Amino acid sequence: MKGLLETIIRGLGNGSVYALLALGFVIIYKATRVISFAQPALMLAGAVAVSYLAEVTGFYAAVILSALLIALVALGIERVAIRPMVGRPVFVVAIITLGIDVVVRVVVNAFIGRDVRQMGDPWGFTQVSLGPLVVQSRWLAMLLVTAVLVALLFAFFRYTKYGLAMRAAAFDQETALAQGVSVGMVFALSWGLAGFLAAIAGMFVGTGQGVEQLTWIIALKALPAIIVGGLDSLGGAVVGGLVVGVVESLFQSYQGEFAPWLGQNFAVVSPYVVMLIVLLVRPYGLFGTREVERV
Amino acid sequence: MKSRYVVAFTASVALLLSACGVIRGDDEGSKGGAQAPGVTTEPCPNAVDRNKGCIYLGSISDLTSGPFAALAVPITDAQKAFWARVNKAGGIGGKYEVDVTRYVRDNKYNPEVHRQVYNEIKDQVLGLAQTLGSPTTAAIIADLKANDIVAAPASWTSAWEFEDVIVESGANYCVEAMNSVDYAVETYKPKSVMAVHLAGDYGADAAAGAKIAAERNGLTFTSVETPTGANEQGRAITEITKNKPDLVILTTGPADAATIIGQAAAAGYKGRFIGTGPTWNPALLKSPAAPALKALYEQSAPGKPWDADTPGHKALREAFPNVTANEGYTSGWAWAYPLKAALDKMVAGGDVSRKGLLAAVKTLKTVDYEGMLPPEAGNYADDANTATFRQTLINKVDDQAPTGVSIVKDFFTGETAKSYTFDGPCFAKL
Repeated sequence: MKGLLETIIRGLGNGSVYALLALGFVIIYKATRVISFAQPALMLAGAVAVSYLAEVTGFYAAVILSALLIALVALGIERVAIRPMVGRPVFVVAIITLGIDVVVRVVVNAFIGRDVRQMGDPWGFTQVSLGPLVVQSRWLAMLLVTAVLVALLFAFFRYTKYGLAMRAAAFDQETALAQGVSVGMVFALSWGLAGFLAAIAGMFVGTGQGVEQLTWIIALKALPAIIVGGLDSLGGAVVGGLVVGVVESLFQSYQGEFAPWLGQNFAVVSPYVVMLIVLLVRPYGLFGTREVERV
Repeated sequence: MKSRYVVAFTASVALLLSACGVIRGDDEGSKGGAQAPGVTTEPCPNAVDRNKGCIYLGSISDLTSGPFAALAVPITDAQKAFWARVNKAGGIGGKYEVDVTRYVRDNKYNPEVHRQVYNEIKDQVLGLAQTLGSPTTAAIIADLKANDIVAAPASWTSAWEFEDVIVESGANYCVEAMNSVDYAVETYKPKSVMAVHLAGDYGADAAAGAKIAAERNGLTFTSVETPTGANEQGRAITEITKNKPDLVILTTGPADAATIIGQAAAAGYKGRFIGTGPTWNPALLKSPAAPALKALYEQSAPGKPWDADTPGHKALREAFPNVTANEGYTSGWAWAYPLKAALDKMVAGGDVSRKGLLAAVKTLKTVDYEGMLPPEAGNYADDANTATFRQTLINKVDDQAPTGVSIVKDFFTGETAKSYTFDGPCFAKL
């Protein structure tokens, strides 16, 4: 039981990171109807920015500065590469984001170099006791920070003028425009928020083990998370991320014991299996909006 | 909503496609005066003596984004310096210089990319100064054999013992792991061994060696295959902390190794880790895993580290007076000696061709490594079992040493490796 709970906490910790990334995907999708595949590059850029800035400003200031910096970079990308494509098929814009991802990663890789870069985080591999449970402090930090960010994000959408504008634009762009909502501002804000969240996620990915050129691959785990949760549901993104993290962690700990016939590393593909099952049972995800199409 | 399916589809294929790319070296023009492929009567592009012809050798390495780039770039740089030194010293037989700078390609540690770039350069080169990686080289080995193309590998799988066209240097991973287990038996008296390894010729070869040695020493053995990626090591860490083996033989990349050792130690594991050569990178001394690495980890190695006192190491250090020391330089430099010996013999024999080079390789019983490896490490004339070099070293983490490791046990052959008969690649026996 103790092992199981520790496994679940590890899963929730890693799942929080997937949730932050998934939130970025969903925010952009809700605002623009485009899946942005640039999230992995923004995540990597955030981690690398922290690794450099931490040497100068200390870790915590570096995290905030890096997240703001990556939000600015994301704003810039939106203004230069995405805004001119408004009105084009969303598939085309999605492909452009793939290109942006590659370009940004090439630039960031030059800053990473060939070795692993360390975050300078205070957690490392230290452990803390939660009653009888012993867990890594960075997993708790991931969970806690994500909880705070999610709460702030939901408050932002619920109580602020810009949050309301974003919700309105997500609901119906033309009507929102007619009501005086600047849809361009909504697009920019969605990219900025996604960049901010991706940078925080990147920082957490790098804690303990550092960041290297191949670290971006982790961001792809947010894709099954958004399918599981529902592509247009912020709450779904959080739940989806946590589900993916916990499922992966459970497979890492117990599959060898209970289902060795699945092979040695089924945990790696387990998020995708969950995604396929959810697609079969609830094609719109656990919390996604069911769309009715007249044919 | 079609976007869902776009995402789902992309999620499924992205992992496969995303690592692919199109970074290439400079374009090369056609050269006149061609004799055999990769041999010209015209001088090399940066010839020391423009009256000599040129022998072109290709290099296919993990130069940008693959998991071994931190080793591969220094390997490639070291080989460029090695051949520049050869050219300065009179070249090959006084008739040719060697160029390893024109046909350099990036494989991204991807077998498919490796094959693709190999096909681009194979008609322009006499042989390969470097083909990095075991699974990547396996993707071209059939073509190398079909065309008698001699290649120096940048990997140590036992499969190379059975390939005439591959001029490997230093003990293979299988021998390395056998010796590591024998060393641990002597030093730490373990009762159980776990091999935590990547899939394929690299990881499985060492795991097989550990298994053979564990059986010979009467130790219990388990093997855990793990994927690459520091974030994917959860299962390996769980298996170690749950089963608590006395000894773990690691065959992963350096970031994976640091994560496994750091987290296992944090969870209370107190056994020993011995990692194969590529598990170490001096940058790990700055990672949070550094205390655990110092306490629990040793590195097995096929050759002496950067600061060793041999003429070969000295020449290497003189060629790179200002670089951050890295064992990639050491390995790359040492791997080049057999090819030089074979080229010398080929030119002396008069048959300057791929067949001539392969024939020369098959007559080499020893190679002068200028002390970096014992001469018998360069035996390509005898059968695989006789020719397999079985000496390795054990290093410990040492933050005072230039590459972060210093020797604790110099070249030795364990009892298991001494008595083992190589009748096929080890990884097939895991």
